[in-house]
Amino acid sequence: MSDHKDRSNSKQPQSCHPQKQYVEDNKKSSSRFWKELAKGIVISNPVFILTLGLCPTLAITNSITNALGMGAGVIFVLLCSNIMISSIRKATPPLVRIPVFIVIIATSVTILSLVFEAYLPPLYRSLGIYLPLVVVNCIILGRAEAFASKNSVLLSAADALGIGIGFTIALVIISLIREIIGTGSLEIFGRQLFKLPGLSTHPLLFFISPPGAFLVIGIMMALFRLIGVIKSE
Amino acid sequence: MRNKILSNKAYPVVFLAVIVIVSVVLLIAVNSITSPIVKNMQVEEIKNTLRSIFPEMSQYELDDEVYIIYKDGEKAGYAFIASGSGYGGNIDILVGLDSGFGIKGVSILSQTETPGVGSRITENSFTDQFKGLSASDIALKSEGGKIDAITGATISSRAVVKAIQKKMVEIIDTLEK
Repeated sequence: MSDHKDRSNSKQPQSCHPQKQYVEDNKKSSSRFWKELAKGIVISNPVFILTLGLCPTLAITNSITNALGMGAGVIFVLLCSNIMISSIRKATPPLVRIPVFIVIIATSVTILSLVFEAYLPPLYRSLGIYLPLVVVNCIILGRAEAFASKNSVLLSAADALGIGIGFTIALVIISLIREIIGTGSLEIFGRQLFKLPGLSTHPLLFFISPPGAFLVIGIMMALFRLIGVIKSE
Repeated sequence: MRNKILSNKAYPVVFLAVIVIVSVVLLIAVNSITSPIVKNMQVEEIKNTLRSIFPEMSQYELDDEVYIIYKDGEKAGYAFIASGSGYGGNIDILVGLDSGFGIKGVSILSQTETPGVGSRITENSFTDQFKGLSASDIALKSEGGKIDAITGATISSRAVVKAIQKKMVEIIDTLEK
């Protein structure tokens, strides 16, 4: 939470990125809704730009099924926690705000994992420990502290959706590259989409292993950075 | 009035307590809905796996940790769950034995090994190797047994082999008594 220190001296909503100052506009709330939503997907993409939540990103992007499952989970938890935290923001005493956030986030995550266990057992098993660990995913606490605790319920929901979708898109891009190169085939929820001849018999196992994740994330970050640099010039 | 409540020293404690109580109630509600589904599913899954190993099974009963398989009222075999820890977490394996204590079939119930590498322990090409073996043959080929390890996944393969071997000796001991 890099912007923790800004809390006292600014009432404006801020993006997590210290260099990008958020410009407040007085347009209608519906246009702000879409703005907050779009923001999370590209200009403050949690993985490639903000570099938040890298631990689960490295760990679960070895298959696209995991990526979609984790993405859906994070969207759900973000939406629940942002909406709840935003709706009680005026009553929350600053002294206990972090414990309150954590309790709300942990409750959403536990509900999510109970639902996954009951209705999507294969996904529940393959996400393993990373599902309960969503509690400590810094994206979620970060959005609670930086956004939901200062903005209206509607905007907080938009922020949650935007950041959640941005996270999911990042996971899907990384896992697509890793699964196709690392196993030579693509499987979604147990159904095989295609199998590349040659690559599937001698897959580049390196890409499915953790070092492969670092490599792919690094290249993707460089690409996003390059796009950012070109755009700003 | 509002400011009076907010500035009260006990207010943060009460507020946190209320949040915790609401969360607990919510979780109890969700858990009471999902836990019977989860339980049902586990029983159903074991039943299906047993049926895939013993197609002739008419019914089964659970005695301590051994599943006794009946075919038309007669004992047709046994099954048990072995678990070991692999490269990425616990591996649970259902092992079926015929009446002569040779392996009838092996099926991986749950695993969290690396997809595409260690997860290949669930493939038939690996699990079929166990068919017909007795407890003394169950070891990797490099360690004097009859099981080929999966390329690049020696740890996962060894975890399965060791778990089955250890539990099988135990189970046969208790069955023979």
